[in-house]
This record gives sequence, structure tokens and C-alpha cells, in this order.
Amino acid sequence: MTSVARPAPRRLASFALPSVPGNERIALARVAETVGGLGLSPARLDKLKTAVAEATMNAIEHGNDSRAELPVRVEVFQSGAEVIVTITDRGGRSHDGVPENRAEVPDLDRKLDGEQSSGGWGLFLIRHMVDAVDITTRGGRHTVRLMMRIGSRDTRRGED
Amino acid sequence: MAEPATTMHVRQVGDRAAVIDIKGDVTAASEPVLMSAYEQADRQGATRLVLNFRGLEYMNSGGIGMLVTFLIRANRNRQELAAFGLSDHYREIFELTRLDEAITIYDDERSALSDAAS
Repeated sequence: MTSVARPAPRRLASFALPSVPGNERIALARVAETVGGLGLSPARLDKLKTAVAEATMNAIEHGNDSRAELPVRVEVFQSGAEVIVTITDRGGRSHDGVPENRAEVPDLDRKLDGEQSSGGWGLFLIRHMVDAVDITTRGGRHTVRLMMRIGSRDTRRGED
Repeated sequence: MAEPATTMHVRQVGDRAAVIDIKGDVTAASEPVLMSAYEQADRQGATRLVLNFRGLEYMNSGGIGMLVTFLIRANRNRQELAAFGLSDHYREIFELTRLDEAITIYDDERSALSDAAS
């Protein structure tokens, strides 16, 4: 068996934000600025921005209970042809209930019939926006890892 | 950080249609503004509500949830919902969430209104 050495991830940015609702806009802007020259198409950059905003909003509201003194840490890496963004919170109360991998999938029909609440779209959006999502809770830290391949095309948007 | 600004302006078009011009952000925080716009359009007797997203700067999952609430109210009152001015990105999000099956999406205002008239 042969193995192919993968380049070590290169950290491009690392910053922390107070857990204040609305700060997800700062996170998406800083991530967009960081990855701007890496070759993500505009359509895929839009998707990454949405995923970063949603994951940061979840970290602020659910992981850190919107307590401003608790930081949300955002890190951006490049690993070969992949952009990786990690968003870490302290893994507070809302992550302790239903694990994300068992969260109810939002269904518009059920919402319109009153069987589901109108919200609950955040994780659904994250999963559909990026190429891979990995969620881990370890040592009191809850991390969402978003991966986007550089150079992939978005066929839904007619990119060639 | 200041709350995101959202403004919505209601324009009555003909007897039965109203266009809601959305400017700024569509998030959970925009709900009072959108519901106020809805009530204004409803009072004017609109049976077709057209959302103009040309001025949309940012929409998140909270905004999508708010649109679902808006849709429930419109369905209850037998009002049609249409939209135009969505960017490709947000149009794709409408498709993913299947909002596009309940809110008919048009390329521009003229199409959204002429379809209502036909």
C-alpha cells in the first residue's frame, strides 16, 4: 500500500469574536477577505459565507448562550486544494440536547401544517452549502469544521 | 454591534396586488417590519403579495424561518405569494428549502405582476 503525503494545513487566519448576535456578519466578512485570492468561484464563496455565518450564529446563540464574554473562535486553513474553516464555542446548553446529527430535518410541508416550527434551517443550510461538515465536541469545546474544495465548479449555477 | 437595518415599503398595484420592497437584511430581527408590511398590504385588500428582493443585502436561516411564518399567514388568508429580484445564491436557497414551490419566483416585477393579471 502506498500513501500520498498530504501537505500540512496552513493557517491563514485566526480570530475570536464576542458572542453577540450579529457578529456572524463580521465572521463571514473576515473569512471572505481571507480566502478571497484562493480561487473559489463567486458562487462557492457565497456558499461558504452563508455556512460560516450560520455556524457562527449557532455558536453565539446556542453554544455560548449569547454571552458576550464567551468568545467564538474562527480559524481558516488551506490544506492542498481545500479551504477549511473551523468555528469553536464552549459547547453550552443547546448542544447538550439533541445532537446535530439527529436533529430533525426541516420540512416545509410539515412547517406549513404546523407540525414543525418555522425555524430550524441553520444546520440544514450549512450541510448544503459546503463540501463537507464535521462536528465534534471535545474537552468542553464544540467545533464545526467546514470544508470547501478549491477549483470545484458549481453546476447548479451553470459555472463551467 | 447594531441591529441590522431592514426597511420594507408597501406599494399597492391595481386593486389586488401589493409589492413589498425589501431593503437591507432579512433575519429573525426583521419579523416586526415584515409583519407590519404584511398587515398594511392585507388592509389594502391585496390577494397577491409580491416580495421585491432587489435591495436584499443578507438573509440567514432566521430570515427563512420568518418567511415561512409569513407564508403561513398568507396561506391562511388565501393570498398568493410571489417574489423577484433574488440573486442566484438566494434563489438556490429558496430551491433547497423548497420555498420556491410556495412562493413563485420571477425575474422581474413586470413578470410577477403580469402573471397576476393573466
